[in-house]
Amino acid sequence: MPEPVLSRRSVLFHTLAGGLALACIAMSGGPAKAAEAAGEPLWFGVSGPLTGPSAQYGAQWKKGFDLALDQINAAGGVKGRPLRYVFEDSQNDPRQSIAIAQKFVADPKILIELGDFSSPASMAASPIYQRAGLVQFGFTNSHPDFTKGGDFIWSNSISQAEEQPNVADFAVTSLKLKRLAVLHLNTDWGRTSKDIFVKAAKERGAEVVATEGYLPDEKDFRSTLVRVREANPDGIVLISYYADGAAIARQLKPVGLNQPVVAVGSVYSPKFLELGGEAVNGVHTRANFFPAEPRPEVQGFVAAYRAKYQEEPDAFSAYAYDAVLVAQRVIEEGGTDRTAIRDAFPRVKDIPSVIFGKATFDPETRRVSGVRNVKLVVKDGAFALWDGSIPAATN
Amino acid sequence: MLPTTLGPWLDYTINGLVIGNIYALLAVGLALIFGVSHLINFAHGSVYMVGAYIGWLCVTKLALPLPVTFVTVAAGCGLLGAVIERVGLRPLRNAPRIAPLLATIGLSVVLDQSAQLLFSPDPRALPTQLPTWRIAIGGGSIGALDLLIAGVGIGSAGLLYGFLRFTKLGWAVRATALDRDAAQQCGVDVDKVNRTVFAIASALGGVSGLLVGMYYNTIDPNMGFQAGLKGIVAQLIGGVGNVPGAIAGSLLLGLIESYGIALFGTSYRNLFAFVALILILVLRPNGLFARARRLPPEPLTGTFIAPSRPLVLPKWAVWALAAAALALPLVVQQPYLLQTLGNAWLYALLALSLTLVAGTVGQVSLGHAGLLAIGAYASSLLALDAGVPVLLAVPLAGLVAAALGTALVYPAFRLRGHYVSIATLAVGEIVTLVILNWESLTRGPIGVTGIPPLSVAGKPLVSGQWVYWVPLVVLLAFAALQSRLLNSHLGRTLRAIREDDVAARSYGVDLNRYKGLAFAVAGFIAGVGGALMAHFYSYINHETFPAPVSMLALTMVILGGLGNVAGAVLGAAVLVGLPELFRAAAEYRMLIYGVVLLLLIRFRPQGLLGTV
Repeated sequence: MPEPVLSRRSVLFHTLAGGLALACIAMSGGPAKAAEAAGEPLWFGVSGPLTGPSAQYGAQWKKGFDLALDQINAAGGVKGRPLRYVFEDSQNDPRQSIAIAQKFVADPKILIELGDFSSPASMAASPIYQRAGLVQFGFTNSHPDFTKGGDFIWSNSISQAEEQPNVADFAVTSLKLKRLAVLHLNTDWGRTSKDIFVKAAKERGAEVVATEGYLPDEKDFRSTLVRVREANPDGIVLISYYADGAAIARQLKPVGLNQPVVAVGSVYSPKFLELGGEAVNGVHTRANFFPAEPRPEVQGFVAAYRAKYQEEPDAFSAYAYDAVLVAQRVIEEGGTDRTAIRDAFPRVKDIPSVIFGKATFDPETRRVSGVRNVKLVVKDGAFALWDGSIPAATN
Repeated sequence: MLPTTLGPWLDYTINGLVIGNIYALLAVGLALIFGVSHLINFAHGSVYMVGAYIGWLCVTKLALPLPVTFVTVAAGCGLLGAVIERVGLRPLRNAPRIAPLLATIGLSVVLDQSAQLLFSPDPRALPTQLPTWRIAIGGGSIGALDLLIAGVGIGSAGLLYGFLRFTKLGWAVRATALDRDAAQQCGVDVDKVNRTVFAIASALGGVSGLLVGMYYNTIDPNMGFQAGLKGIVAQLIGGVGNVPGAIAGSLLLGLIESYGIALFGTSYRNLFAFVALILILVLRPNGLFARARRLPPEPLTGTFIAPSRPLVLPKWAVWALAAAALALPLVVQQPYLLQTLGNAWLYALLALSLTLVAGTVGQVSLGHAGLLAIGAYASSLLALDAGVPVLLAVPLAGLVAAALGTALVYPAFRLRGHYVSIATLAVGEIVTLVILNWESLTRGPIGVTGIPPLSVAGKPLVSGQWVYWVPLVVLLAFAALQSRLLNSHLGRTLRAIREDDVAARSYGVDLNRYKGLAFAVAGFIAGVGGALMAHFYSYINHETFPAPVSMLALTMVILGGLGNVAGAVLGAAVLVGLPELFRAAAEYRMLIYGVVLLLLIRFRPQGLLGTV
């Protein structure tokens, strides 16, 4: 089996990982025989969408949180106390996320907050967390200014500056594509990613012949793709999530596009395969983790996820899972004092992480770097490691 | 592949027709319902979503053959349509016309949320069993499903045409559409007609959901809102209540979008669609395909908003309430409660603004969130880029929102009833899309970060008490101003326009000037509200004030009682407070909210405090 290639990739969301207990489980290959956690629980708060148009992401988060907590609490929790969470539904709406923020900061049992989902909802709440001195840990917040909200604002979201050059490497250096057309979500994430990608692709000697930004709820891409076709690209780059990425892939052939496709890692989801059907065969992506990767963090996550939910994990549940591992580590290190928990962030090193392998925070940026990634290609309706073959240029 | 320069244009044309085809499926059902009950059915998109899920169950769980799936979906959604008519709308037939409109919004919340609870919010694949052959046209190709969608759209329009023209029940439907009371006097069972129309339209809506789900191979519980919106736009382009016009309007909308993408790029797609809508509304208010001399589709006098006896609070009670509200932070220190109430006061500013134009003047706006966005951006950019102190930027933002808002809605001043609503809805969308695309000014999708908080003498007003007091004081000031205005000569003139604009004009009231004045005042209030929100949030982008905020504002206004100042404040407090109260119900809370909304409309359609 080829060695997975390390690299990074960017997503709108992401998380970070911590959790010595978990690492123990994962690395010893079996449950450590620690006593089950008992006593007074320790709490973290989550502000995120459970209803409304982004509810599916909140649902994936929950699966990641629950899985991580099962493992942590079965292995003794945090210093013998179980870790629990309160999930408040914000509908990804800033009006509600700021009310939730006030609720959390006034509730002494909440030690750290995770979320919210999008930039408007998360960044509207940041000043409240910052002023009250409660850590806001945004695990899906890739907005370049998110952690500039103050020293209580931390994130393990994958940085675009790290991720996009990897995608560009894959497209330009590995797949030898020279004339790229970029389709991106017209959101803060998609736009930032696109700008960095275009720069990185040009540095690697490729030409970007078209860029098209689309709205998240768009379903019809035929005319957009005709525009792309007229620019005569030799490869197509998707800065998309799984649902819109699959929709675009399905409409390529009907407008006469057969060029190779490279997508960012946020399309990594079983849903991408389900929604895209045959049309996503041959799509390349750099995912942040891959179930077949032998890393213990990945194996500990994927095997347990399959056992608990009888389905394949996606990127968003991995981010949520990683976020809980971070929360566990900083609470372990900082205790039950909110400021001490903030101070613990620069001190915790090498937190086991599905996305980063080992996550360590940079005290300057309050972010994590060194995202892992593997080059994948969709083959016969499944993600497979890229075998180094360059798709024949058709058309 | 065609080597000519015509090549891509042929493709753009075909793509426009392909997507127009899909819009047509929804527009036909909406047109039918509007034609008979003069109701823009916002629940139609939800019925479409339900059809997609019934189809999904048939295809993936029961493995039924395709024709059986179609029949099951049509029957299921037809039944749902009849139930919606019976339970949600018939009890409101004597209520003001705004009540059923709101009921359809409530119904769509209930349906969408139920689907989300039953099937999870995850999108699902809906595989098609149709053959996979494709016909090459231009540089691309179309498949069997494209042809089937076209066939269903045109076929159903043909069948409907035949039904309306040649059957007895069809005559009854048309008679009811022309004049409900007269039809009833002639012995037409109007209830039966309505039920039939809802069942037919919903069956068609459900089949559309199934077809579109198969087309994109994806369905999700929220798929209805955007689709319904496009259907509404398409049928307005064709002329409301006009079934063949709805098809033509849909194809035209598809073409406009496709050519818009071709000329300016993908991010301008909806901008084009909504600008086209406004142009058509202004130039041909009956739609492009209406016969030249039709009766105005809206009644001339004020039956849109029914009169009722408002609940008038005695003066001392108003003062006492205001004083109690001001003193609250001295007693209650819970920041969560204060923040929630502070949010309520901010939204009350929006409701106050909307109740003036929608309630007092009768111009029901569905794009009011656009005014918030203008105010928020104006104040943030003045403070950040022009260095204006926040305290000054906020009122300036109010002026900007007043000027821009009035100018944008000005073309819609000659419209009436539902047309105003749709035009303002389009204006709201246009504001969002301009913010998204005008990057040099608004920073596009990245949004505006680091917006400074409101501060006095260098001290930022950010603590729990201030997020409550600042909006409250502003709200009380505007509420007092608006109450005085309503009791003055000006208020009476504005209400005269609402009650009967022809009569008002014959008394010498210059409609445009008074409407302009009302929109300017409303724009100022909402603009200040949006500016305050921006300074509290510290970060805004084009998604901060989405279309559902406009719906929420309208719900607040109707709940409190149209035109009623105290009602707007109460409506905002209830609707910001209710979802917070139901927080413990987590995933269920929006469902509960929808049901409560329906019950309120059912039992108190004139609003809690009554129309002023």
